[in-house]
Amino acid sequence: MVPLNYYLLLSGVLFAIGIYGIISQRNGIRILMCLEILLNSANLNLVAFASYHGNTAGQVFALFSIAIAAAEAAIGFAILIALFRVRDTIDLRNINILRW
Amino acid sequence: MFQDFAYLIVLLPIISFVLTLFFGKKLPANGGILAILTIFAAFVISAGTLAEIYHGGVVEQSWHWFAFLDFGILIDPLAAAMLCMVSFVSFLIQVYSVGYMAHDPAKPRYFAETSLFTAAMLGVALSDNILQFFMFWELVGLCSYLLIGFWYRKPSAAAAAKKAFLVTRVGDVLFLAGIIVLYLNIRDFTVPDGAYLLQFQTMFAAIEHIPPAQLTIITLLFFGGAVGKSGQFPLHVWLPDAMEGPTTVSALIHAATMVTAGVYLVARTFPIFLASPDALIVVAYIGGFTALFAATMGLVMNDIKRVLAYSTVSQLGYMMLALGTGIVVGAEVVGVSLFHLISHAFFKALLFLCAGSVIHGLALQDLRQMGGALGKMKITGITMLIASLALSGIPPTAGFYSKDAIIEAAYSYWAHTGDIIPYAFGIIAALLTSIYIFRLWFMTFTGEPRTDYHAHESPPSMTVPLVILAVLALFFGLAAHGAFSGFLEHTYSEHLIEEAAEIGGHHLATEHAHPPALLFYMPIIVGVLGFVISWLIYNKRVFRMSSIISKRNPIYRLLLNRYYQHQIYTEFVAITIVHRVLALLGEFIDRRIIDGIIDGISWILIMVGEVIRRIQTGVVQHYAAFVVMGVVALMLFLFHGGGIL
Amino acid sequence: MSLPLLSLMMLIPLVGAIISFISRTRNQARITAIIASIIPLIITIKMYLQVDPSTMWVVETYDWIPQLGITYKLGVDGISMPLILLANIVVPLTIIFALGETKQTSSFYGLLLLEQVGVIGVFSSLDFFLFYIFWEITLVPMYFLISIWGGPRKDYAAIKFFIYTHIASLVMLLAIFALYFIAWAQTGYPSFDILHLLKEYPSFSPVVKDVIFFALLFGFIVKMPAVPFHTWLPDAHVEAPTAGSVILAALLLKMGGYGLFRVMMPMLPETTNTSLVITVIAIIGVVSIVYGAFLALAQKDLKKMVAYSSVSHMGYVTLGFASLVPLSLTGAMYQQFSHGLITCILFMSCGVIQHSAHTRIIDDLGGLVQKMPKLTFLMLGGFLASLGLPGMSGFIAEFTVLTGAITTLFIYVLITVFGGIAVTAGYHLWAMQRAMFGVFNEKLGHIHDLAGYEMLSMAVLLLLVIFFGVNPDPVWNFMQAGANTLLAGVHII
Repeated sequence: MVPLNYYLLLSGVLFAIGIYGIISQRNGIRILMCLEILLNSANLNLVAFASYHGNTAGQVFALFSIAIAAAEAAIGFAILIALFRVRDTIDLRNINILRW
Repeated sequence: MFQDFAYLIVLLPIISFVLTLFFGKKLPANGGILAILTIFAAFVISAGTLAEIYHGGVVEQSWHWFAFLDFGILIDPLAAAMLCMVSFVSFLIQVYSVGYMAHDPAKPRYFAETSLFTAAMLGVALSDNILQFFMFWELVGLCSYLLIGFWYRKPSAAAAAKKAFLVTRVGDVLFLAGIIVLYLNIRDFTVPDGAYLLQFQTMFAAIEHIPPAQLTIITLLFFGGAVGKSGQFPLHVWLPDAMEGPTTVSALIHAATMVTAGVYLVARTFPIFLASPDALIVVAYIGGFTALFAATMGLVMNDIKRVLAYSTVSQLGYMMLALGTGIVVGAEVVGVSLFHLISHAFFKALLFLCAGSVIHGLALQDLRQMGGALGKMKITGITMLIASLALSGIPPTAGFYSKDAIIEAAYSYWAHTGDIIPYAFGIIAALLTSIYIFRLWFMTFTGEPRTDYHAHESPPSMTVPLVILAVLALFFGLAAHGAFSGFLEHTYSEHLIEEAAEIGGHHLATEHAHPPALLFYMPIIVGVLGFVISWLIYNKRVFRMSSIISKRNPIYRLLLNRYYQHQIYTEFVAITIVHRVLALLGEFIDRRIIDGIIDGISWILIMVGEVIRRIQTGVVQHYAAFVVMGVVALMLFLFHGGGIL
Repeated sequence: MSLPLLSLMMLIPLVGAIISFISRTRNQARITAIIASIIPLIITIKMYLQVDPSTMWVVETYDWIPQLGITYKLGVDGISMPLILLANIVVPLTIIFALGETKQTSSFYGLLLLEQVGVIGVFSSLDFFLFYIFWEITLVPMYFLISIWGGPRKDYAAIKFFIYTHIASLVMLLAIFALYFIAWAQTGYPSFDILHLLKEYPSFSPVVKDVIFFALLFGFIVKMPAVPFHTWLPDAHVEAPTAGSVILAALLLKMGGYGLFRVMMPMLPETTNTSLVITVIAIIGVVSIVYGAFLALAQKDLKKMVAYSSVSHMGYVTLGFASLVPLSLTGAMYQQFSHGLITCILFMSCGVIQHSAHTRIIDDLGGLVQKMPKLTFLMLGGFLASLGLPGMSGFIAEFTVLTGAITTLFIYVLITVFGGIAVTAGYHLWAMQRAMFGVFNEKLGHIHDLAGYEMLSMAVLLLLVIFFGVNPDPVWNFMQAGANTLLAGVHII
């Protein structure tokens, strides 16, 4: 059996990649994708702990999370498409009218 | 019988006021008849009450008001004399007004206000406690404000009304402070059954419990009120300006009512004044000085009413002087002063009404434009001559008896204390009085008309009161001078006066001082002398006055400008100090500094927000970065605990 | 105690306000407003004949949020009853006065009725939570009255009014919470009951007591308003519509004074340095009186002058509070009542002049008496009452405050007498002379006199001022009983 630490390490790496992507990327779709990576790193954690402790609650939460991630991705892409129609770009640095 | 209806003395004129105010246009003579009837009824009740208490006794009635305060009626000889005089003179003036005001469109207002004025003054006279006295006193001030400003379209009338109210208000503030300090001193005093803390009797009974220094403060504060109301130096400035009202109002204010209230106040609280070591000396000096000071200005005035106004100030000074000599003469001076007050009420009302008749008949007010009116206005001229004789104290007029008594009192003061100043003030002022009043008479009635005018005698409703008053001015003194002071002596018990004098440390003279013959006849001599001087200058034109009456003569200029009082009081004190310096400086502090601090705080907050809102870039990644930093910080804090913080 | 009269007294204007808000025609709103505001007055008079002024006459108590000790508890005694009477006199008369309003009439009357609800609530609440809610409720309609119907700088004034007084009430709220939680910790059960908290207060630690005291004091004297926290008042008044000014000056300011009597008085002896606190409050009172009077003298705008006169007159309330003498304290309460009536006349006069002459700058007016004799008569009555003429209610209040306070605050009373009274007479009469008398300023154009309903309203007020000046007993007895009960529990000096 693979030790728990390996899962956690992988999840941490994925999480860091996701954060880096969210902060550094300009393209909205890439940011959404990084968001998915973040979510999945968390899911990985849940599943890993669940199997390690023999507790199914973690699996259930992971399933929930995946379902919500799907919905979130759908909404996110819908927003980006709408944005693209209006502004002809999905570069988030230019979409900053909500400032001061 | 009459005394049971004493409350009607005040109530009737008030009813007249209310009715005339609201239904004046529908009443006969626009309310004039009602006003005359109510005041006459008040006079009848007053006179009846006086007759009832003539041989002793007082009328006392009292009702609960609120808190610890009562209101009530006290008619003792002093009050009875005052009530009769006020109601009688007011009555004559109201009769005269019907003719004088015949053509004024605002007659209902006039009669309403004069009724209220009389009511207030009667209320002052019969109050049995100092607070009620003060309330009616203020009401008198209010009515004077309304009446002086009767012709409110004239800016000068509106200004004079305000000035009268404010200057007397300064005195009233002192009076109020006196009442409050008095309360402070007697509040723990146990009040006998049925009496009340601020009642005059209670106050007199409490004198011995009040420290003399406090008594002096209280009485001087009271006297401050009297100075304001009775036009004594230095608060006399409103009185000559008060001539802006109708002449009848001037007669009412300067003869019968308002201005005598101050003298009455001092007379009413005389035992307290006597118990204070120094108060009466101040009264004597201020009174004497005012008598002289005002007479000097009377010499050069050209407006017929202004001469009379200064004459009033001067005569009120005499009354105060008389009261001041009470530290030597004792309670008798109350009678002396009141006697002059009443005889002055008659002849001064007469003078004003004559002046009104002259103004009415000639349509002129400036003495320099008059002259030779006697031919056309015989009744007015002769009655005015009688009044002038009375004012200058020539026997056998009322003025002779009353003024002579005052000068005699001043002489007693001189003889017992060696202080000649009040006496000197009195004598010199008497000479000046005689000069200025005959100057007025000669310039008006003798010689040739100096301008083209059409004189006519006034209607009977005006001349009849003149004649009645003239008879009184002639014979009142002769008839009453003995009985009067005998009657008024019962006002204060001898025991009270002796006790008060003892507290104040005064030694009352047991018998009158007898002046040497020259001094004895001095009042008559100066009176006649003044007449002769005026006759020579203004009738015979023996002396050429042009060298004296010139703008280059500094004394003349000083007098003509009335000692620059307008510049000092109005322009310097009121406008510069109070308004410019205090009020506008306060405004500056308030708007710029206090409100500036408030607005400054909000400005600082706005500026801080202005800076901090830059953090809100609108870029999602920045927010995300902040979130990450926050989480990292939180984790560090959680895992390393206080090690970091 | 069959009907919950106090609740009814608030419910009726509240329902009236809602009907007024949704009413479609102007007349409907007007009639609703008049009826809904007058019924509480009738109830008040009925209560007046029953209530015992010396004890708290608890009318109704219901649990509201029992877990937190919040109750719906209303009651009146000699301190609050006259103020409720005042509120129920002033609001109907203000509505009658403002019958000519044309802009958004339904909301206008609705807001006035809401003010009535809030003010009655403040004066009758015996639960701090409820008290605070009503305290805040009074702010909101006033904000809208200023910001919708106000003058040229209405936004500045409305925001300043709202934020200034709101900060003060937040400070007050913190103090209330402190009281509540500490008392909870001590007794073991939560309660917002004012009387209960006041009973617990003495057992707090000294520092906490002082902090709570000053926080509450700040909350109340900003509302009064006392110098130096008064600057919101002139701005708010100048921009507010007439009816708003009337309610503001006649009722909202009184909440501050009421708070002093109801809440601060029992706390006063518990402060660490009571004599110092009294000195500070007395100085605030005297400075308000004298400084307010001088500022009023400096004003060019008639309404601003009247606003500063409010600052000056409310100073008597502070001074009477600091004296701790029954006579003076009663006088201070009487001053609240009396000023409430008098200031209505003054602000109404300003409103009529503004409406008719389109300016309130005193020097631009002149000789208005010729065109507006009725207004001049009523206005002169109001001015004379305001300057403390005997025979009017203001004199009773000022005289009793000063006479009572002389025994404990000698020097302050003398400063007030010499510095305040003559100047007060001065600015009133000077303004009267310049604005109303003298030669008519032809530039003002066509001027019309009072409308019938305006005259009715002002005349009733003037009659009341004279009535309570000649016969203070009906209100005085209540206040005296209230003041005696209040001072019976206070032992200082």
